Amino acid sequence: MSQQEPEGRWAIAHVHASFNNTIITITDETGAETLAKSSGGTVVKQNRDEASPYAAMQMAETVAEDIMAQGIEGVHVRVRGPGGNLQKNPGPGAQATIRALARAGLEIGRIEDVTPIPHDGTRPPKNSGF
Amino acid sequence: MSERSVSRRRQEKRWYTVLAPEQFDRAELGETVADETEKVYGRTIETTLGELQGDAGENSTKLTFRINDVGSDAAYTEFVQQELTRDYLRSLVRRGSSKIAAYVTVLTTDDYRVQVQPVAFTTKKADRSQEHAIRKLMIELVEEAATERTFEDLVDSVTEGRLSSAIYGEAKTIYPLRRVEIQKLRLEARPEEVAEEEETSVDVDDADVEV
Repeated sequence: MSQQEPEGRWAIAHVHASFNNTIITITDETGAETLAKSSGGTVVKQNRDEASPYAAMQMAETVAEDIMAQGIEGVHVRVRGPGGNLQKNPGPGAQATIRALARAGLEIGRIEDVTPIPHDGTRPPKNSGF
Repeated sequence: MSERSVSRRRQEKRWYTVLAPEQFDRAELGETVADETEKVYGRTIETTLGELQGDAGENSTKLTFRINDVGSDAAYTEFVQQELTRDYLRSLVRRGSSKIAAYVTVLTTDDYRVQVQPVAFTTKKADRSQEHAIRKLMIELVEEAATERTFEDLVDSVTEGRLSSAIYGEAKTIYPLRRVEIQKLRLEARPEEVAEEEETSVDVDDADVEV
């Protein structure tokens, strides 16, 4: 357990930031074991606020606290947007998450964009006129 | 605390130190948790070349290792993939210049089947014939490199950039090149798997094939 071996381990923070939600999952370095996770619904009441930077900040703080108690010293970050035939850029929660993780005292290693990009897949949804 | 509680179950888990193959000096890649040893097999871990060699300039190359052997608290890996990071590859693509990619599947001398993806960037827009010539040359050089190297040597020459600079040296006479990289090298089959395929494969006569 973490109390006996408080050495500096590293983990990976997977941040899925869409325009409707932000999902943070912290795993070990192989990505096989989840250490902590959180999503927008855990901190805000209104559905439309799930993707907000503020919610992302709150989530990142609780998650950071959790994993630091488990003896994690730093994280590599993998951000992604919805991808596929949807938007390729990460949503508003991504940047706020990384900032909050850094402010919580975690070291930030590599930051990488892992949005799934099709080598030409299905037809994208029609423009809804916004 | 209930039996199913997460924190209770977490106490039963053990940490394994993941080590790189001998080729990379058994460097420490990271750590992973598991409650049962069998669950550690087959996990993959990704690092950058810069991290392995302590050289921050090489951080645009990602290396993936798969765990294939587990000791008491150490897990041993084999090399499975080399890839350029997406942001680096994107930074090379420019308007008004050609990107010439090729996908070559080769068999090394020790019977590993590997897919190599070299990519070249020209200084200005190249003609189709020049693109074809460069692509042909790239494929030839990669095939030649594979037929005279073992899997380890091939990985070595790719990660150290010797293969890409060899391609650069040869292909720049066809058209001025800006950069040549190996964007991906992937292990497709090990010697055992290749042998098995050969055993199970059946020779098909041309006469037997209905057209």
